[in-house]
Amino acid sequence: MKHAKQSKLKIGLTLASLSLIAGMLPVPVQAFDYPAPGDFAQGAKEWADNCGRCHNIRGAKELRDDQWITTMFHMRLRAGLTGQEMRNILTFLQGSNNPSTGVIVKTSTATGSATSGLSGKDIYSQTCIACHGADGKGVLPGVPDFTRKDGRLSKPDATLLKHVTEGFQSPGSPMAMPPKGGNSSLTEGDLKNVIEYLHQEFGS
Amino acid sequence: MKTSIFPLKPVAFAVLTALAALPAVAAADDLSQLRKTVETLQKQLQEVQKQLEEQQAQAKTEQPASRADVEQLQKQVSEANEWREPNTLVHLAGYADVGYEKTQGNNDDGSFTVGRFSPIFHFQYRDLVMLESELEFEVEDDGNTNTSLEYLTIDLFMNDYATLVAGKFLSPVGQFRQNLHPSWVNKMASAPPGFGHDGAAPVSDVGVQVRGGLPRMGGVRTNYALFVSNGPELSSEDGELEGIDAEGFNKDAEGNKVYGGRVGILPIPNLEIGLSGAWGEAAVSKIDGNEVDINDEGKRDYKVYDADFNYQLGSLGVRGEYVKSKVGSTSKGLAASGSANWTTWYTQAAYKFLPTKWEAVARYTDFDSAVDDRDVKQWALGINYIFTSNFIAKVNYELNDGKNNSAADDNRFLAQLAYGF
Ligand code: HEC
Ligand code: HEC
Repeated sequence: MKHAKQSKLKIGLTLASLSLIAGMLPVPVQAFDYPAPGDFAQGAKEWADNCGRCHNIRGAKELRDDQWITTMFHMRLRAGLTGQEMRNILTFLQGSNNPSTGVIVKTSTATGSATSGLSGKDIYSQTCIACHGADGKGVLPGVPDFTRKDGRLSKPDATLLKHVTEGFQSPGSPMAMPPKGGNSSLTEGDLKNVIEYLHQEFGS
Repeated sequence: MKTSIFPLKPVAFAVLTALAALPAVAAADDLSQLRKTVETLQKQLQEVQKQLEEQQAQAKTEQPASRADVEQLQKQVSEANEWREPNTLVHLAGYADVGYEKTQGNNDDGSFTVGRFSPIFHFQYRDLVMLESELEFEVEDDGNTNTSLEYLTIDLFMNDYATLVAGKFLSPVGQFRQNLHPSWVNKMASAPPGFGHDGAAPVSDVGVQVRGGLPRMGGVRTNYALFVSNGPELSSEDGELEGIDAEGFNKDAEGNKVYGGRVGILPIPNLEIGLSGAWGEAAVSKIDGNEVDINDEGKRDYKVYDADFNYQLGSLGVRGEYVKSKVGSTSKGLAASGSANWTTWYTQAAYKFLPTKWEAVARYTDFDSAVDDRDVKQWALGINYIFTSNFIAKVNYELNDGKNNSAADDNRFLAQLAYGF
């Protein structure tokens, strides 16, 4: 009995160490053509809606992009997500993980001060609301409360614009503000409008 | 470089012997002969030198060539398809915990404990199939290490709404065993009574299931799991049913499958209500701790009903689960006896004091076992410190109210460090 247990243990440990080594090999980032990309903004909302139900919500920066793939397939089964929800959340996590190199979030696609014709309010309720909430107080850990006096909105507009355009993470913060809130089609003009809207709607 | 030194040795040797031979030749008083000899030696030496230079030149051109070969090879390897676009992913996850435990009353001075080390392996081929396996290493009281296969499944992602899961899986009945038992997930250091091994809630099973999420209808999310499995075996003691071993038998000894499933509905985000159950037959395979031939024992009805809920409102998390397992009677076999029920339910509230890392938890459980000695009503109170989302320290006190003088009646202090990776 004891023997059987020990040999089982040995096999187990060998397996464990082999996989440890295999699991630790770094895999280049842009390497994956699967699963198909999802919708970043939807993913942000679905992540907030689903990922804190069973355990502490896990932030994008906690794992590498390739680790997120297997983890999201694993969590799709645990959480009973549809394939589309899984792809959206994966796109959101990978995109927020790597604002600078992300495959999905391309910040260079739309520049110039032309606007897409959407009002600041429209943009806020389509892209920003998933994390910042209808009341601007933030719905997720790490998202700041815009309504606070001498809060984030008291920073100069140029700084806010830069942070919203390029993405931003304060030291030690559990979550990053993704570039353009993850919506790469927003122009500089759009972002100026939405910052204007933030001031009007949430004070300072 | 080493190679170019070696051919020099025989040359030097030849020259030296030639020089040593000189006086003898001179004594022969044949100067022209001597000159000839020196000339031939010179020629030979030149030839050797020429050969040597050729060799060295060759070696020089060869060396960079082979280095280039290696580089070429390295490049080929790194560009090989499986590395540039890996179709197979290997991933290690899992959890472990260590702790301290002191039972009040029976002269327990407290013990340090290592809980479980449970590595989870994932092997995934593109978005088609995944192999999931969790091992469990557990150190027993006597120091022996026990290994078990917590689950092992192959999951085939058929379409966006259905995945076929085959193998040994955590029972889809209820939510605690499936979703909350890992120590970094569970807010308490212990499982609620009745949800552990050999309690009221089934742990795992061997079979196939289809599970997934359905398209949202008017903002309502729905998920489901349907399964057919080998089902549990029973044990009997002192002529009464004593336990349900619902831990995944690899052989359906009594020959009747168990069917079951769960539906989870999320009317609003972060609120899930689940209904689940299992139906089938089971028979006794163990009497008073000894294995018996299950085919000689009568088949009994086996039914499980379960309801669970889970709600997350900002810093507050509330959840609960009710489960009842019923085993019918039989008049056939050595263990012939009446029916028996196991019922347990718990509710738990946890509150995070954001932005600090502290969390307070309270849980109430009422477990009614078929064996009265195991009945317990329990209040468990706890304080957690959440270092990071996957690393948690817990301190718990359990107020246990069981049958007088039974082990289930003793209060317990527990401390635990749990890490998920
Ligand atoms: C229904 C419960 C449930 C939900 C909802 C859930 N998880 Fe999990 N999660 C688990 C369990 C249980 C584990 C532990 C692994 C195990 O036991 O198989 C886990 C493990 C993890 C891990 C550790 C790595 C791993 O693969 O085991 C990460 C990261 C994670 N979950 C992220 C998420 C994200 C992101 C979401 C949102 C899509 C999510 N979880 C939603 C139950 C859940
Ligand atoms: C995926 C979630 C998410 C989305 C979507 C999102 N934000 Fe943010 N935002 C954050 C987080 C998290 C922070 C805080 C980052 C930090 O300080 O580490 C933040 C910070 C900010 C700040 C303060 C920056 C500073 O300098 O302190 C502004 C302004 C802002 N967001 C505007 C927007 C706008 C406008 C949109 C929509 C176009 C948007 N956000 C969409 C998560 C999000």
